[in-house]
Amino acid sequence: MTQVRDVRAYLRSRTHGPASAIDRYVTVFGLAMLAAVAGRPISGVLAALDAPVDPVRMGAGLALLAVAFTGFLAAARAAGPVLMSPADAAWLLLSPLDRRKLLGRSALVIGLVALVAGLLLGVGLLGVLGAPDQLVWRVLAALVLGVSATVGGAALAVLGQSSPAWQIWLSGAMAALLVLAVVAVSGRLRTVPAVAAHAPLAAVTAAVAGAVAVSWLLARRAWASLDRIPARDLVASSARAGYAADATVGLDLSTFTWIAEDNHWRSRTLVSRRRPGVAAPLAPAWADWLRVIRRPGRLAVVAATAPLPAVLVQAGGSPTASAVAVLGGALAVAATAVSGARRDAGNPALARLLGLGLRPALAARAVLPAVLGGVWATAALLMLPVDGTWWLFGPLAAPALAAGALRMARRRPVDHSLPVLETGGGAIPVGPLLWAGTGVDLALLGCLPAFAALTTPDAAPGSYLLAQAVTGVAVLLGYLWRARTSRS
Amino acid sequence: MYDAIIDIRRLTVDLGGNPVLRGMDLRVSPGEIVAVVGQNGSGKSTLLRCVAGLHPGTSGEIRVFGEPRSDDARFWGRVGLLLDEPAWYPALTVREHLELMAAVHSSTRMTVDAALEEFALVERADAVPLNLSTGQRQRLSLAAALLRPSALLLLDEPERGLDAAFRARLADLLDAYAKEGGTVVMATHDPGLTARNRQVSPTGVAA
Repeated sequence: MTQVRDVRAYLRSRTHGPASAIDRYVTVFGLAMLAAVAGRPISGVLAALDAPVDPVRMGAGLALLAVAFTGFLAAARAAGPVLMSPADAAWLLLSPLDRRKLLGRSALVIGLVALVAGLLLGVGLLGVLGAPDQLVWRVLAALVLGVSATVGGAALAVLGQSSPAWQIWLSGAMAALLVLAVVAVSGRLRTVPAVAAHAPLAAVTAAVAGAVAVSWLLARRAWASLDRIPARDLVASSARAGYAADATVGLDLSTFTWIAEDNHWRSRTLVSRRRPGVAAPLAPAWADWLRVIRRPGRLAVVAATAPLPAVLVQAGGSPTASAVAVLGGALAVAATAVSGARRDAGNPALARLLGLGLRPALAARAVLPAVLGGVWATAALLMLPVDGTWWLFGPLAAPALAAGALRMARRRPVDHSLPVLETGGGAIPVGPLLWAGTGVDLALLGCLPAFAALTTPDAAPGSYLLAQAVTGVAVLLGYLWRARTSRS
Repeated sequence: MYDAIIDIRRLTVDLGGNPVLRGMDLRVSPGEIVAVVGQNGSGKSTLLRCVAGLHPGTSGEIRVFGEPRSDDARFWGRVGLLLDEPAWYPALTVREHLELMAAVHSSTRMTVDAALEEFALVERADAVPLNLSTGQRQRLSLAAALLRPSALLLLDEPERGLDAAFRARLADLLDAYAKEGGTVVMATHDPGLTARNRQVSPTGVAA
């Protein structure tokens, strides 16, 4: 029978030449740069390990780690996680080749990603719990624990791809992590992290050994399950991988939004609803409201993220970090409700068919992101440990958030023809930079008074509130006025 | 041993809550060519996907080669499947794609040169597929499907993008495949391909 490695060798011989000295130099230089960039924050964490850690900060930090780990598991499940390129799926998957060997490369990539994520989780764990004594051993234990957790989690996701029963285990693990996050931030089990931080080395070793054993068992089972992953799932995940690769190569990240949305609605059974009697410009905007109403799960997830800025503050985050979390989070929430504007900008055929003016249609489409972003920001501010009228920044920032989200949704794809700037800190591609900043710039401009007030929490908010009310509305009106001649 | 290459009993498939196939029965004998016909949305492609195991049926039974579908190397060694246009390796030429197919399978029905000749791709052998016309890419897909050894070919609209002359040529190529003992089940709207083969309709009503 033909061996997978022979076929891979054939493909390699046709698609890649041998790695040149320049290729190796670029790889080593890239890794060295990464180490230099990541080294400073990590050395900062390590230097502060012997300082006593506040138990309240410990709980909040653990909660953030639990949420991050849940995000890792959710991302692994959404990605596949075992996947192959569309060409491999078309030419090699539905063939007599050994499927486990065929998927071995994908499994290796998953392992490497889990290793890196695990090391980061371990560093995070050290930052939260500290290392009051036996520094080297505690650092080692935290890193091994982190890697065991992510490798075990990734293995669980792979097993879930081959069997619905394992999917239930994966969902259970994610739910348990979220419960742990809630309990940790509530402060009910404040003594547990404190005890864990000062646990004797014997107990730490036992915990690490247990984690490694469970992780190893899961990884072995996942490897054995590779040839049981149904071809239909691999074909579907390979198509997603293809779109994702296109989006990454073209640096057009908005493609991900289109893929996610198309996949979601394609698999749903809908029942047509009667449209409420609203005036013409509001009618297309109703579609955005309908999308939100039809995704109550996403709305619940969005609502559940509102306490995160408060948790960040509890974990020791600076006022600037909390301001970025509140306003950035609210902008992200507003951006979940602008699909209609994104569609119209990407493919204006339907908008032309409807025959509506751009400005009234955009104004109607601004209402939903303003409501969602404003409500989320208000909820997040109410949970922050500040008194008084600070929550008013939420509704007052809403128009600016809507303008930023609409501008973000209507931005053009990345302009790769723009130059790459050579700076002392490295090359900066202008096209992707401008793309990433489009929308955020407008939101920041419109939320500047709120941002200034939140980063100086000792100041009286009165004048800032007034300024925010004016700039928020002005930015939205200005954006709508400019939208006549400009796409973004 | 088995009497029917494909034996489908009471197959029902729902897609997004809508019934696409309802209690369908189908038996296909070795060496037979079956044209699945019907209106758009009648379930032709879904039927092929179900037979290949790429779509689970809601209820009913599908046996291929006398046993339930297995989705393993042995199954895919005997089944050639051509649904939508396949993804192409960006750096591989037309010839190299066919050579890849020959490398994956231990033996082939014809040489790569013969396949290029049969499917009128000799002049485009060194082109990358994305530089071919739609019809030429479809010819390349068909060449790959007919180059590899198989006992069952599942084709979804094999006539897509082909000119009238090559459609007639395709019918001859499929006849030759069936004479060698191969079985073909294809969803098609082409009158030439349907006229010379047994027609079945997923809805039970001939189009």
